[in-house]
Amino acid sequence: MDAQKVDMFIMANGKFFESHHVMQIRERLVSLDDSKWVEVQTLQFKDPTTLLIVSLLGGGLGIDRFMLGDTGMGVGKLITCGGFGIWTIIDWFMIMGATREKNMEKLQRVLM
Amino acid sequence: MSRTKLYTILSIACVAGYIWLFYGFQNSAAAGNHTVEVCFIKQATDIPCPSCGSTRSVNSLLHGDLSSAWFYNPLGYFIALVMLITPVWLVYDISLKKQSLLSFYIQIEAYLNKPRIAIPLVALVIINWIWNIIKGL
Repeated sequence: MDAQKVDMFIMANGKFFESHHVMQIRERLVSLDDSKWVEVQTLQFKDPTTLLIVSLLGGGLGIDRFMLGDTGMGVGKLITCGGFGIWTIIDWFMIMGATREKNMEKLQRVLM
Repeated sequence: MSRTKLYTILSIACVAGYIWLFYGFQNSAAAGNHTVEVCFIKQATDIPCPSCGSTRSVNSLLHGDLSSAWFYNPLGYFIALVMLITPVWLVYDISLKKQSLLSFYIQIEAYLNKPRIAIPLVALVIINWIWNIIKGL
């Protein structure tokens, strides 16, 4: 695929991924077939900052995990009062990384 | 979700849960029913959260008092069930190097993500929460 297009994609969506994944994503996209471009471009990624805000406000009820699609862990957090409050605090620091990992998984499903 | 990650989290949760339960059980036997309150939401806002009362509920179950367990928090039944099954399943999976619990977890997660299942469950939790607030746990 056109390197310029890929760079545009990276510029617009770089914040949704871990920094060490970005180079790998770029290489994969450059070698990707043009027919997949529309699919890649229309993917919706979750914003780590939004998830952080949700985690700060609703982390005790597991809403951040539900939003990410980690329903099992969300239920776990909900029924244990946010893991006695400890898990809530851990997730304040973990949720941005977890969001980026989820975004990577989503992109990988299209790239496969 | 990888196998190692899920099993680590579940093991930690089981150990922490059983320690907490043992502590609560000791205390309820010793001096009435007063344990340390750990719920952040309740401490900060004075409003009980959806799962407040589940420790007391599981404790009542341990004492064989089914009706007061239901009164404290119906979620206690669910938690007791999970706490009974999970350790056995974990030991079975780890010792035999299987991943039946992981595949079950993934299946349940996909099932819970369906709106026709998720919406009634969310409604139930909210009803339970309102009941908690009315009871003033």
